[in-house]
Amino acid sequence: MHTVLSVDAMELLWTIATVLFLYSSLSFLWKAFDCRRNQNCYLVDYVCYKPSDDRKLSTELYSDVIKRNKRLSMPDYKFHLKVVVNFGISEETYGPRSIIEGREESPTLDDCDDEVDDCMYSTLDELFRRTGISSGDVDVLVVNISMFTPDPSLTSRIVNRDKMREDVKTFNLSGMGCSASPIANDLVNNVFKTRKRTLAVVITSESIAPNWYCGTDKSMMLGNSLFRSGGCSFMLTNDPSLKHLAKMSLKCLVRAHSGANDDAYSCAMQKEDTDGRVGFHLSKSLPKVAVRAFTENLQTLAPNVLPVGELALYVIRGLRHRLRRSKETKADAGTAVRVNFKSGVEHFCLHTGGAAVIDAVGSALGLNKYDVEPARMTLHRWGNTSASSLWYVLSYMEAKKRLRRKDRVLMLSFGAGFKCNSYLWEVLRDLEDGGAWEDCIEAYPPNP
Amino acid sequence: MPGAPLPEFSSSVRLKYVKLGYQHLVDNFATFLSIPVMVAVGLELVRRGPQEMVGLWRALELDVIHILCSVFVIVFVATAYFMSRPRPVYLVEYACFKPPSNCRVPFSTFMEHTRLINSDEKSVQFQMRILERSGLGEETCLPPANHYIPPHPTMEASRAEAQLVIFSAIDDLIRKTGLKPKDIDILVVNCSLFSPTPSLSAMIINKYKLRSNIRSFNLSGMGCSAGLISIDLARDLLQVHPGSNALVISTEIITPNFYAGNQRAMLLPNCLFRMGAAAILLSNRRRDAGRAKYRLVHVVRTHKGADDRAYRCVYEEEDAEGHTGISLSKDLMAIAGEALKSNITTIGPLVLPMSEQLLFFLTLVARKLINPKRKPYIPDFKKAFEHFCIHAGGRAVIDELQKNLELSAEHVEASRMTLHRFGNTSSSSLWYELNYIESKGRMRRGDRVWQIGFGSGFKCNSAVWKCLRSVRTPVDGPWSDCILRYPVHIPEVVKL
Repeated sequence: MHTVLSVDAMELLWTIATVLFLYSSLSFLWKAFDCRRNQNCYLVDYVCYKPSDDRKLSTELYSDVIKRNKRLSMPDYKFHLKVVVNFGISEETYGPRSIIEGREESPTLDDCDDEVDDCMYSTLDELFRRTGISSGDVDVLVVNISMFTPDPSLTSRIVNRDKMREDVKTFNLSGMGCSASPIANDLVNNVFKTRKRTLAVVITSESIAPNWYCGTDKSMMLGNSLFRSGGCSFMLTNDPSLKHLAKMSLKCLVRAHSGANDDAYSCAMQKEDTDGRVGFHLSKSLPKVAVRAFTENLQTLAPNVLPVGELALYVIRGLRHRLRRSKETKADAGTAVRVNFKSGVEHFCLHTGGAAVIDAVGSALGLNKYDVEPARMTLHRWGNTSASSLWYVLSYMEAKKRLRRKDRVLMLSFGAGFKCNSYLWEVLRDLEDGGAWEDCIEAYPPNP
Repeated sequence: MPGAPLPEFSSSVRLKYVKLGYQHLVDNFATFLSIPVMVAVGLELVRRGPQEMVGLWRALELDVIHILCSVFVIVFVATAYFMSRPRPVYLVEYACFKPPSNCRVPFSTFMEHTRLINSDEKSVQFQMRILERSGLGEETCLPPANHYIPPHPTMEASRAEAQLVIFSAIDDLIRKTGLKPKDIDILVVNCSLFSPTPSLSAMIINKYKLRSNIRSFNLSGMGCSAGLISIDLARDLLQVHPGSNALVISTEIITPNFYAGNQRAMLLPNCLFRMGAAAILLSNRRRDAGRAKYRLVHVVRTHKGADDRAYRCVYEEEDAEGHTGISLSKDLMAIAGEALKSNITTIGPLVLPMSEQLLFFLTLVARKLINPKRKPYIPDFKKAFEHFCIHAGGRAVIDELQKNLELSAEHVEASRMTLHRFGNTSSSSLWYELNYIESKGRMRRGDRVWQIGFGSGFKCNSAVWKCLRSVRTPVDGPWSDCILRYPVHIPEVVKL
């Protein structure tokens, strides 16, 4: 005891302080390390669905389909055509075979199965071929198709066809609207954080055959005019050894759900009309609801995406604006403070909900014609393919060789509920794949 | 094997004690090993005496720095260990939907409706025979739309049923736990056969005004085992997000799925599926550990979809007349048995005591090397679990599992009684069974529960829970008004 206590008091305090400091810094480092484990989510590859040419739905073919609906009057018929023309789509968009062949009012279960199978199987086969990874290596499988849920689920169908392992984790998301692609990604991201070296395949598409509206309610006819066939399969992993194969890395994902508001919940809803026919109702309050959801999403997204300099500038501009407003009259006030998203993001994949939607979102983000071109061209060539539209837009950028290493890509989409989801990717290497645009990219953008 | 019964009996009794002794030895092997070591150390200490111990301590010449550093290393290693362990997932509370008595479908009502709707006498007779042998009781319920003649399956009616069952269950859960809707961080909903847009999860977010940054997922088409898939997903999410809670809703909406045709394999679901829903509150918050009922120990998922027979055994298809229905194949029992075997191979090593695993391994070796005709050793799962919740898919499923796992009648009582009182409520049936066990006052602290779900695909999913506090009766739940009448004897055939 004598030898132990003869230490100087100051030295003792100093030793204790050093030990405590070491302990707290090591704990902090450990916690940071623990958080970052399995944090990465790499996009290994993606394949967009290209239906066969006999499924092209030209305006003429479309008008034949509408004419078959004897319940529609001449003004209804004109309304249909006006919507299609104003929407901004070309003659090259695709529809399901059952509609082209005249069975739109009574599609069989086989028609619905065929539509979905064609998309899922062709894109999956291509994805496995390109990556060289076999279906037996897949650990997580997610399918999201909003409006068609057979039993057994579509995930089981793929497990059966591709003979996946018994311990594969499958998730079949449904009813989540046009914004389901980020949701599927969020699910996979969360699973990645709980286990090492995991490989996931996500298939996103929409089913049109069973959801053709045969009634006369105008708010439900829009769905027929806008949605077209499309889909995408993509492969994600958190395995660092596959990083050299990967195209992009996920940086940030933000989900905003405004379903608590009654207007938002009912503005895009599948329901029956007064005659008992099921259709997809789009209400007039949709734009307002979309703006609200969009703002909410941006409020969380901006601090994660923008560089510190831009955020500081925004705060300064906001203060100046407020000071100026207090001095000016009511007539002068009204110009909002804009944030320049282009300071943090090079490319924008906007949901192809329609020309009006793309323009509105573009102007809110401060984008020019070059930035919205991929979304506009996707809308023109493929129509609104619902949840998979973001991937066609990405594919356009890649085909145009715009995606360079270290570029950041923002994907933004809206969906029923009402949701606005966004995610930010960083490109890992220069990308040059033509993908689904291979045979037509030279013709875009078309000369005015 | 020839021989007098009495000697065999006595030898089997002796064997039983040998087996018990062996099990105790293997299970507590580590403790048995450490006893001689501790005894030796203790003896040495006593022999040396306290003076010598102090002298030994001084001889080490430790000064303050050494002591502090060693303490620091120990504390650091301990912290790192605790921080890297997976977060515990607690089941705070759950609530099951109690169907109103005006939705009841006694056998007489069911048969009367069937005769009025279905003109084919053979189909009517077939359904009657199914109902007689089904193990269902007279108090199971169908949604209001199915009480119409013929049933009225509109989307509006389906949404109404969804609102009725889901909101009742959630209201009940809120009442029991004092949960504030704005506090919910994660929402997972699973409903196989009804998936409107916006989803049922959006419907819940709208009704209860949940937060806009909620992480919601809507699973569909995943069959009767989807409840455990939702629990698995909620568990993964809770591992990633600290200090969160998750609301899981398991249900099946019956309204849109009435089969109006005459194919026998597709008439079975009409006879067996009934209304039900469960709302479960999971949490990883430390403050909920005190009031939580259970802790989630394992979730194991097995998917047999790669096998064509398994994939086709529960299949939605159209019959020759264009009516959609779910066809159940004759192979269902065999496939369920195989799926269970696969699931057991994964879950066995996680839950079985060492003794059982060794026995299983040794018998396997013996079969492979010495005598292939030797009976395979079925591990005794009764040693790993006190309670079993087997999906009440039908009488045959429960019989098959009871046989495969060598369970007693009491172990499967919860499943049989749930099938009798509520029918096959699909993914929520496991929660009605758990509630039965609690209502009977059988759930004690430390008890382990095994929930087994089967579903289309063909999937077999298991969840293992550990009870954190004894559940006192009476239990507020769907069984509160009838638990005293149970268990009832369910005859093989109820003559109609």
